[in-house]
Amino acid sequence: MTLARVAACEPLGPYVQVRIERTFPAGEPGQFHMLRALAHDGFLARALSAVATADDSVTFLTQPRGPALAALAQAGAEVEVLGPFGRGFDPAAAGAAPVLVGGGFGAALLAPLSRLLPAAPLLAAFRDAEAARAAELVPAAEREIVLSPGNVLDRLAPRLAAATSVLAAGPDGLVRAVAAACAAAGVPCQLALEAPMACGYGACYGCAVELDGRLVRLCVEGPVVDGARLAVVA
Amino acid sequence: MSSVLATRVGALELEHPVMNASGTLDPLAARAAGLEIDRELALLVTKTVTPLAREGNEAPRVSEVEGGMLNSIGLPNPGLEAFIATTLPAVRALGRPLVVSAGGFEHADYELACRRLDGEPGIAALELNVSCPNVKSGCISIGSDAAETEAVVRLCRAATRLPLWVKLSPNVADLAAIACAAERGGADALVLTNTLRGLAIDHWTLKPLLGGVTGGLSGPALKPVALAAVQTCRAACALPIVGVGGIASGWDPSSSSPPGPARCRSGARRSASRCSPGGF
Repeated sequence: MTLARVAACEPLGPYVQVRIERTFPAGEPGQFHMLRALAHDGFLARALSAVATADDSVTFLTQPRGPALAALAQAGAEVEVLGPFGRGFDPAAAGAAPVLVGGGFGAALLAPLSRLLPAAPLLAAFRDAEAARAAELVPAAEREIVLSPGNVLDRLAPRLAAATSVLAAGPDGLVRAVAAACAAAGVPCQLALEAPMACGYGACYGCAVELDGRLVRLCVEGPVVDGARLAVVA
Repeated sequence: MSSVLATRVGALELEHPVMNASGTLDPLAARAAGLEIDRELALLVTKTVTPLAREGNEAPRVSEVEGGMLNSIGLPNPGLEAFIATTLPAVRALGRPLVVSAGGFEHADYELACRRLDGEPGIAALELNVSCPNVKSGCISIGSDAAETEAVVRLCRAATRLPLWVKLSPNVADLAAIACAAERGGADALVLTNTLRGLAIDHWTLKPLLGGVTGGLSGPALKPVALAAVQTCRAACALPIVGVGGIASGWDPSSSSPPGPARCRSGARRSASRCSPGGF
């Protein structure tokens, strides 16, 4: 475990960018850290993926709806950091024509991946224009932003024929719908899944998800998984 | 290690009084993540092993609540034979004193575990989990009844020479009677307590947050419950007691324990990723 200080916090629409002193490894795109503000007397750390890395800092995006994340999103806050943990995206397996699909503030964790795959277009869905500001962190040159009640899958469908892979992050319903679309089109996909976590490193078995028809620990087997491992409902 | 912290559970001598609660720590997973948590513990307690492999309960399995967390993990494990063949040698290789937690759904399950583990080297004690609130049969239904508790401990006593610790639940009407029953059955120590059954509701959907509907409450909210259980059983029987529940800092075991219990366990806070000795 490492202690680090929140160097700065900057609002971005309904979210907060939390820049933390880089006293720990930043990890690969899609990996996550377990973060807990010492000032908060809550119990569990929170699993967050980095959205940007600099020489002296690592930045996370959060939506501080509860006291644990609110305590984290305070400049000067002292934070316990564990990680990075888990399996991230594999950009080497993305092929020549990957497509990024994101939703909600989870779309922002595609930012480090987009820097490695600059030609990949970003298709992203948000509830409104304010929430869509999360996409500003993703440097993709080509982007299609869809606001509710639009459906980002309608934008993905015509691109699947030429896509070598789809890499997605966002709400569970979105990434599972992406998995179904990719399975129907025969396109490989890498999906960042979410599950409530307690330890983050496989010790407690709390973050079970069903992959390949059996319950596994997402923090060990994921959070980024091959979409073919999900049970897809057609 | 200061000798001031040295303690014992029956004949088992420990460097210090802190160990993990069963179910909260897979030390092999922690090592794989680069965390040598096992080195900080006086002994390691395994996750509960059952005769047959179990996947565990439906997701979601954990939820933070006021004063701690709920878990509905449901005893995932590879089954007794795979545990003996694979898990046990790997955990033993970590070099820490080891307590193996055994669970089941009928008396014979516990007896089988005791008989099979009796000849295995490197086991300091067996812990009978008759108190898990997250399975649909066995476990807590055995540990909620004094006669059943005595019967299962007696069966196990005949099946092994290893020290037998019995982990009890606070979700019972007369804990003292069950503690005395374990003592009569031949237990060497009590572990107090397992989690309290609880329920968390999603504010938006008004549905249970956990896939198993209810879960076990652990963390700071459990500590007064565990301390009361320790006091109750201390007065009722002569067995050594390992206290479990809400050990989140170095002050918890030393400043808050009633006279008697000198050992304590940390579970949920460990799950919450505190891994320095001062973080217990």
